[in-house]
Amino acid sequence: MFLAQLKNELWKLFGKKRTYIGFGAFLLAQTAMLCAFKYTKWQSDFEKLLNGNGYLASEFISVLTVSVVMLIPQIMLLMPLYATLVGGDLVAKEAEDGTLRMILSRPISRVRLLFVKWSAGIIFAIALVLALGLTAMSFASLLFPWKGMFVFAPGQAFSVLTAHEGLVRFIFSLLFMAVNASVMVSVAFMFSCFNMKPAAATILALSFLFLSMVMENIPFFDRYESWFITHHFKCWLLIFRDPAPWSQICQSEIILFAVSATAFVIGALAFQVRDIKC
Amino acid sequence: MIELRNVIKKFAGRIAVDDLSFTVPRGEIFGLLGHNGAGKSTAIGMMLGQVWPTGGEVKVCGHDVQSNRRAALMQVGAIFETPVFYDYLSGWRNLEILSTYTAPTSKARIREVIEWVGLTGREQSKVRTYSHGMRSRLALAQALLPKPELLILDEPGDGLDPEGIHEMRQTILRLQRELGLTILLSSHLLNEVEQLCTRIAVLQKGKKVFEGNVADVKAARGRVALKTNNFTAAAKLLRERGLIIAMAEERFITLADGHSTADVTQALVSAGIAVEGVWQHEQTVEDFYMSLIRPPAAKN
Repeated sequence: MFLAQLKNELWKLFGKKRTYIGFGAFLLAQTAMLCAFKYTKWQSDFEKLLNGNGYLASEFISVLTVSVVMLIPQIMLLMPLYATLVGGDLVAKEAEDGTLRMILSRPISRVRLLFVKWSAGIIFAIALVLALGLTAMSFASLLFPWKGMFVFAPGQAFSVLTAHEGLVRFIFSLLFMAVNASVMVSVAFMFSCFNMKPAAATILALSFLFLSMVMENIPFFDRYESWFITHHFKCWLLIFRDPAPWSQICQSEIILFAVSATAFVIGALAFQVRDIKC
Repeated sequence: MIELRNVIKKFAGRIAVDDLSFTVPRGEIFGLLGHNGAGKSTAIGMMLGQVWPTGGEVKVCGHDVQSNRRAALMQVGAIFETPVFYDYLSGWRNLEILSTYTAPTSKARIREVIEWVGLTGREQSKVRTYSHGMRSRLALAQALLPKPELLILDEPGDGLDPEGIHEMRQTILRLQRELGLTILLSSHLLNEVEQLCTRIAVLQKGKKVFEGNVADVKAARGRVALKTNNFTAAAKLLRERGLIIAMAEERFITLADGHSTADVTQALVSAGIAVEGVWQHEQTVEDFYMSLIRPPAAKN
């Protein structure tokens, strides 16, 4: 029964046009960035940087390198927007439209309903990241060859990886990006469970994420950086460090899972005690 | 089928439902009347486990809604004032989605319900293309999917044209006749309530001010219509002789105990007042409702 409910929740989610806004925006952004990289000074500056560090630029301006270059601004700016947009809609939009009242006239428990909705949100987050990663690679492969990988990694100036190693790390980075997107969906979902409009839930979630990012970057808060969830979002880039800091990554991933679970529990508690009225 | 016992609901200190108790037995069409904000929808919300009571007990199908919501709602269907669906999906898909919140439902059952409500041929169209009447039928279809024994209708006539209201009335009667459902109907349409319901409860500012049979309301000792060439003089005479206790709207009188319309006619004729007609005026639910909620100062 859970699977049938989840399938139907996905029908609802993917039947809406606004669900695809994120996918569409990513495609446009990727196309624009790919063209900018290929046809502006961006590529030549990149080549100079590689050559200046003793690497043969032609061996590292590749599908994987360009894919990550394309992904960085989208992950920083667009992904929070679209993940929270969908997460904020999950419960609040149904409450606003009145369909929630119809659902809750049926014998499904509120917690189960929320779990189904949250699961659908997580699936959306994974789909969004997969689509983002795969289209980035597909687009990049149209104009660049399959070769080694050059990537800027936090805490390290840059990393240079073989094509095979780069691909493995890229797959891991997609996995960590999916966790990040899931956390963003979960935070928006939590606000969505309170009595508020979907836009308010999205804005609150975005504010929470941006506040975390801003505070994390204030030097005064350096020693508290592990308290900010955006600090843990960096795993998707940390994986490109050589060697990969697995213990730090695992710690951050556990914290992100805990944040997601906490957001769900807080949302469920708020929703459980709420009166559902038109 | 429904039992409310001393139910109280407060929203931020404001009392929405105050010590409400009533029972709806199996097979009855029960009407819940009241002005906007009287507490009807809140009471229905509590029956469906959407609104948590502040105090009291709500039982549906023999189960406490708060402690055993699943069992209580297993065979309950509900329709709300404005039928809302996932407009971007087909009627069929909407029914599939809603059915999974109760129990696994076969395609044959969905088809059967669609046929029952008369939506065959349009079930694959997107709901956004449906008229208001078709949405109402789809709302009925989703309510009937779990083979309910109890149907809760919250203002189902809202927004319907006279033809739609007529159709709704016929459908409700058909539901009881063919499927033997118990129906709780909350409505502003007093005429509909009068024609459909066997019993009613009237809420005012969250409090129940009346509960009883519609037949009793209509048969209650009501007003007598009097048509004369001088109503004021006639009423004054009748009052002086102790034959009536009240008059209203320049055409109605209320007889005093122990007197009949024959006594009135005889008194007026002997006093030289021409009587064009005297007849028992059957009280409508609307008359009764208005007499309940009208402030005492306005009563004649």
